[in-house]
Amino acid sequence: VLTLVKLIQSLFGALHSEGTPGQLAAGIAFGSILGLTPLVNIHNAVVFAALMLLNVSFAGGMLAWALFVPIGFLLDPLFDWIGHGLLLAPSLRGLWTALYNMPIVPLTNFNNTIVLGSLVFALALLLPLFFTTRWAVTRYRATVGERVRQSKFYKAVMASKAYNVYKMFKP
Amino acid sequence: MTAPAPSSQVAAPRLKIFRWRAVGPLLVLVVIAGVLWWLFADTLARHGTQKVGTQLLGAKVEIQDLHIDLAKGNVTIRGLTIASPHEALKNLLQADELVADIDVVPLTEKKLIIDRIAANGLRFGTPRETDGRVAANADGTGSGKGAGIAGVVLAETREWAKQFQIPVLQLATGNISIDSLDPRRLSTIPAAEALGARADSMQKAWQAAVAGLQLGPTIDSATATLEKLRTARATDVATLNEGRQAIERVKRASGRVTGLERGVKTGVAELQGGLSGLDSARRRDYAFARSLLNLPSLDAPQISAALFAPAALKPFERVLYWAQLARRYMPPGLLPRANTGPPRLRRAGEDVRFPKENALPRFLLRSAELSFLLQPTSDQPQRYAGRLAGLSSDPALYGRPMVGSASGPQFAAGAFLNHVRGTPVDTAGLTLGGVRLPAFDVPGLPLRLDPGAGTTQLGFNLNGDNIHARFALRSSNARWSRDSGMTSSTIDNLIWRAVSGLSNLELEARLSGELERPQLAVRSNLDQAIAARLRAVVGEEVAAAERQARERVDALVKEKVDPVRAQVNTLQTQANGQIAQQRARLNELQKQLEQRMREFTRLPFQR
Repeated sequence: VLTLVKLIQSLFGALHSEGTPGQLAAGIAFGSILGLTPLVNIHNAVVFAALMLLNVSFAGGMLAWALFVPIGFLLDPLFDWIGHGLLLAPSLRGLWTALYNMPIVPLTNFNNTIVLGSLVFALALLLPLFFTTRWAVTRYRATVGERVRQSKFYKAVMASKAYNVYKMFKP
Repeated sequence: MTAPAPSSQVAAPRLKIFRWRAVGPLLVLVVIAGVLWWLFADTLARHGTQKVGTQLLGAKVEIQDLHIDLAKGNVTIRGLTIASPHEALKNLLQADELVADIDVVPLTEKKLIIDRIAANGLRFGTPRETDGRVAANADGTGSGKGAGIAGVVLAETREWAKQFQIPVLQLATGNISIDSLDPRRLSTIPAAEALGARADSMQKAWQAAVAGLQLGPTIDSATATLEKLRTARATDVATLNEGRQAIERVKRASGRVTGLERGVKTGVAELQGGLSGLDSARRRDYAFARSLLNLPSLDAPQISAALFAPAALKPFERVLYWAQLARRYMPPGLLPRANTGPPRLRRAGEDVRFPKENALPRFLLRSAELSFLLQPTSDQPQRYAGRLAGLSSDPALYGRPMVGSASGPQFAAGAFLNHVRGTPVDTAGLTLGGVRLPAFDVPGLPLRLDPGAGTTQLGFNLNGDNIHARFALRSSNARWSRDSGMTSSTIDNLIWRAVSGLSNLELEARLSGELERPQLAVRSNLDQAIAARLRAVVGEEVAAAERQARERVDALVKEKVDPVRAQVNTLQTQANGQIAQQRARLNELQKQLEQRMREFTRLPFQR
C-alpha cells in the first residue's frame, strides 16, 4: 500500500511540479530503460546516474521504472527473440566479436539475448515515449491540471511525508 | 530625472542541464556501493559461484567460505562440496581448500584465467544428507526442467542407456506346461495341407499325361501288323514297309513314355522334398513349443548380460555424461556459441560467446595440483596426488588439449580431452585396486551380489561419434546374499545353490560402434559356471518338459502329416508301376516286330 501511495504521490508530484513537460517526459523515458532491461547491468548504472545528474524529473524516472518492470517481464520472450536475431546475425558477427574481446564492454552483458534485446527495444521506444509523454503532460496541465491541484484528494496525498523526499529531487 | 521604464517582458529562466546538487548524493551512493562491495564481495562471489557451478554441473555446488584478494590476485575457497548428479545421497567430491591464482587484467574482459589451482583434501564419493541432484528429478528419472545444459545432457545419456536390450534371465517357476500351444501357430500343419494338395494335383496331371500317350491304338496297330508279318510272303513288300512303320511308331511311343517317366521322377523328387520340409517344419514347431515352456536360459553370454549389463552400463553412462558435458562447455572451433544465461528472476535468455583468434578464452585453467584422499571413511585413508592442465572453454584458442592424471600405489587415472580440432577426441582411463566395490541387486533374481574389495578398470574413448569403452571388475571375495523376497520353492533353492558357492568374480563389459547404436558385450567367469550348474540342477526337468513339448506337437501334426506321407508314397508307387507296365508292353511288342522283320528279310538259304 505504501508503495502504491508513493507511486501516486510521485505521479501527481511529477505532473504538478514546476518542471517542464519535457523534463518529466525525459525522466519517464530514462526510467523506462531501468524497467524494461534486467536491472543489474552496467548500462542501468549509467542511466541511474543520468537520472540523478541531468535536470530531468527523477520522480518521473522512478515512476516509469516501477511501471515498466512488469512490462519488461511480459516482453522477455520478445526481447529474447530480438537479442537472438541480433547476436547471431552473420553481418554483425564482426562487431560483436570486437566488442566481446574489449575491456569493460563484456561486463555490460550485451552478449545476453535478453539484455541486448530489451536494451535495443528500450532505446527504440525512448523518443516515441518522450514525445508522447511530453504532449500528454502539456494537455493534462492545460485541461484538468488546475482542478486536480485544488481537489481534496490531491492535498491529502501531497500532505504525506514521502512528498518531502520527492521534493529534494524535484526539477 | 526620469525613472527607468519597467521592462515589458519577463526574461525566460535559463534551462539548467545538470543538477549539480545531486552530485553529493550520487557520490554517497557510490561510496555506499563500494563499502557494500568491500563487505559483501566474498558473500556475493560465493553465492554466484554456487549458482553458476550448480547450473553448469547439474548438481548442487556448496561453498563454506570464499575469499577474494584482488591485490594478490588469488581466490581461496574452503569447504567445497559438489553433489553427484547421478546419486541422490552422494557427493561427487569434497575439497578442504582450493587456492587459485588468477590474472586480474582479463577480468575486465569478463574472462577468468586461472594460472594455478592448488587443491587440498579432495575426497570422492562421500555421503551427504540431502539430495543434491538438480538436473535429475527427485526420483532419478528424466531431466529436471530448467537445469540448463546439464539437464539436457543428463536426459540424453539416460535415453542413450535405455536403448540397450538387456535380456531377462527368466527362470521356470511352478509347473512347466504347454497348455497354451495353439495348433494354428504350428507351421507343420499348413505345410502338410499344402503338400497334400500338391500331390493331388500331380496325380491328376500324371493320369492325364498317361491318357495323352494314346498307347492303345499304337499297340493294337502294331499287334495287327505283327500278325500280318507272320503269314506274309517274302515278296510282300507292302507288308514289309508296314512292319517297319509299326516299329517306328512303337519306338516313338516308347520315347513318350520315357518323357513321362522323367516328369514323374521330378514330381516324385519334389514331393519327397516336401516330406523333408515337413520334418524341418516339425523341428521349428518343437522349438516354438519349447519357447512356451518358460525354461531357464542356459546360454552363457545371455546369463552374463542379464546379470551384469545394468551394473556395467552405469559407469559408461556416467563417463559419457561428463564427456558430453565437456563437449558442450568446451566446443571445438571459433564460431559463436549460445549457452543458457545466468539464472535470475527474469528470463535467463542465452549468453552468446564470440571467441576471437589470438585472444584469451572465456575460461582457462592453466594448471592444477590436486591432493586427494581415497577411502576417506576408512581407518587409514590413502593420500594421492594428481595434475590437471589446459581446461579451457575455448580449446581452439588455447591450442592444447586438456590433460589430467593422478596416480598412487593402487590407483592410476588419466584423461585427455582434445577439442582443439574439428573432431573432438575424449579419452579416459582408470584403474582402482583394493577398494570395496558397491553391492548391487541382480536384475530379475531375488539375489544381491557384494563384489567385496577388488580391482576396477575403466577405459573410454569417444572419437567424434565413435565410442569404444571397456569396464572390468575383478574380485576374489564376492559374496551372494538372498533377498527377503526369495521364496523357499525348489527352483529358488536350486538357483541359490548354483551361485552361493561362487566367490571369484571376473566381469568385463565392452562397448563399441557408433555412439547412436553401439554394441554392448558382457562376459564373466560366472557365465559357464552358472550355466553348468543350472543345467545340472534343472536338466532333468528341462528334458522332461521338452519331451512333453515334442509329444504335444507330434500329436497335433500326426493326423495331418501321416495321410500326406502315405498319399505321396502311394502316388509314387502307382505312377512308377503304370509307366513300367506300359514300357514292358511296348518293349515286348517292339522286340517281336523286330524279330519277325529279321526273319522276313532273311534269304531262303539262311532260313
